[in-house]
Amino acid sequence: MEFLKNFRTYLEFQSEELIQATIEHAVLVLISIAIATVIGVGLGIAIYRTDRPAKLTLAVVGTMLTIPSFALFGLLTEPFGLGATAAVVALVMYALLPIVRNTVVGLRSVDPAVIESATGMGMNRWQRLARIELPLAWPIIITGVRVSTVITVGIAAIAAIINGPGLGKDIFRALARIGSPFAVYQALAPVVGVIFLGITFDVFFLVLRRLTTSRGLR
Amino acid sequence: MTEATKAQRAHSDGEVMIRLEKLEKRYPGQKQPAVSELTMEIPEGEIVILVGPSGCGKTTTLKMINRVIEPTSGRILLEGDDVTNANPDKLRRRMGYVIQQIGLFPHMTIAQNIALVPRLLEWDKRRIDLRVDELLDLVGMDPSKYRNRYPKELSGGQRQRVGVARALSADPPVMLMDEPFGAIDPITRDRLQNEFLRLQEEIKKTIVFVTHDIDEAIKMGDRIAILRDESRIAQYDKPEHILSDPADSFVEDFIGRGASLKGLNLKRVRDVELADWPTAPQTASRGEVLEALRRSDQGAVLLLDERRRPRRWVDARDLDRTDKPLLETGLPPEAIVRPATTLLDALNEMLKSRVACAIVVDDSEAYQGAVDIDTIMESIQSMRAAARDESRALAGAEIRTRPDPS
Repeated sequence: MEFLKNFRTYLEFQSEELIQATIEHAVLVLISIAIATVIGVGLGIAIYRTDRPAKLTLAVVGTMLTIPSFALFGLLTEPFGLGATAAVVALVMYALLPIVRNTVVGLRSVDPAVIESATGMGMNRWQRLARIELPLAWPIIITGVRVSTVITVGIAAIAAIINGPGLGKDIFRALARIGSPFAVYQALAPVVGVIFLGITFDVFFLVLRRLTTSRGLR
Repeated sequence: MTEATKAQRAHSDGEVMIRLEKLEKRYPGQKQPAVSELTMEIPEGEIVILVGPSGCGKTTTLKMINRVIEPTSGRILLEGDDVTNANPDKLRRRMGYVIQQIGLFPHMTIAQNIALVPRLLEWDKRRIDLRVDELLDLVGMDPSKYRNRYPKELSGGQRQRVGVARALSADPPVMLMDEPFGAIDPITRDRLQNEFLRLQEEIKKTIVFVTHDIDEAIKMGDRIAILRDESRIAQYDKPEHILSDPADSFVEDFIGRGASLKGLNLKRVRDVELADWPTAPQTASRGEVLEALRRSDQGAVLLLDERRRPRRWVDARDLDRTDKPLLETGLPPEAIVRPATTLLDALNEMLKSRVACAIVVDDSEAYQGAVDIDTIMESIQSMRAAARDESRALAGAEIRTRPDPS
């Protein structure tokens, strides 16, 4: 009880800074996801009708996700320097796999009879893609974006080691002061922020998926 | 008969809408072509059926007409234009396309599905809306009820109707149909076939229709091409000729037994002279009914109400039982058919009925006459005779046009 009371006092005392950091964190994630969605859906469209290029691309973006985040953030400071740019690049790399994969899976799951009738009606490749295939694959694609977002919210905390923005800074500050009276609170507050952001984005994308999916597909 | 004369026979009637010239499809790595040098003509305004055993190349042939499958060699002519190398998307907008799985777009409403091609053609919105409602009416679906529904909310038969409406949306001269009723239960299929034939009387499209079912071919086709392996034409002719005069043993086997019986699918009740069975008003006395029975050589009298609707069959035995009013004796009228019923269906009804005939009524349920076994036998005989005469005339014409060998 004593612990929770103290934690609340800490939150009240630090609220302004915490809100600021949470907003930074959210913006970092959203920018990264926006870029990853453009690249990922584009890649997916480029490869979904192929066999080997598709497998190769998925293997490469899959490998990115296995690189330990500390190492990747570190490596990226070489070309991009310290700060937000390197952080965004790293997060985009982590976010790609679910988006590319779901785009490919979604586009491939469209009923061949639907594509055949679209072709037979005289729709060209781009009309088919824009009016038939992407709308039908959309619920699966947006699920990929949602998964990527939740992953990215967590990983974005590590961006602080290369001086990136967000809730990570407080965590690293707290880790440097372990043993001092406020260290636990200082570490816990941004973690709560990260969890809050993760859940918020998750719900946001669930609602967005529902609102943007045709009633005929539900 | 050579390929050329087989193809030319179609030419004798209407204008040629589609001409396939030595059309061939080879797939890499396969020795045999899927379709081998097919030459045929599809006359305008007719339903031409491509029928054959599975794997004979009939679907490949159909899909080469709108180039969903590109031919390896040969030419496709549409209304005289060589479209073999034309822009395929423009070509396809001149041909409605209906496939077995229908392929409605599940994320679009019924109206959006039907409106798709007109939208690609950039019609204005008002014209599109009118067209959608017109087409839904045409296929027998209430526009206000179905316009805004999604495909998953429809039954299989309704989806098929929407598929046909969608194929007709931009009023193309040609319709290509690949087993359109193949995945539908038999009762609904029968109804859809009849509806489609009625529709075709209105729209008069040139239709190429693929099926593996010879009975469907006979029922639906103005002309039937029976195909064997590699889409080679075994016989291309009107259904009555194929039934009466199969070109070879392959065609004979493919038609199977009961060719005469199948021929009954070609004729409708309105095409034949109806048999005369005795009738009497339901108010008639026993004596009057007995008199009517005596005057005819049939075994029963049909009682009609004041609007000539059939009420009761009575025979001599029923007339003897004086303890009940006439309308409570005898048998209820069964086997009621309409002028548009095929003779095969009428025969079927007749065989189920306890009185050996089918009663024909018009749209207001009024009695028109009857179909009995004599009616059926007569029409089988006249079909045979007509087919024989025509084959003779054709054979004569071929002999006359054959060039002098000297």
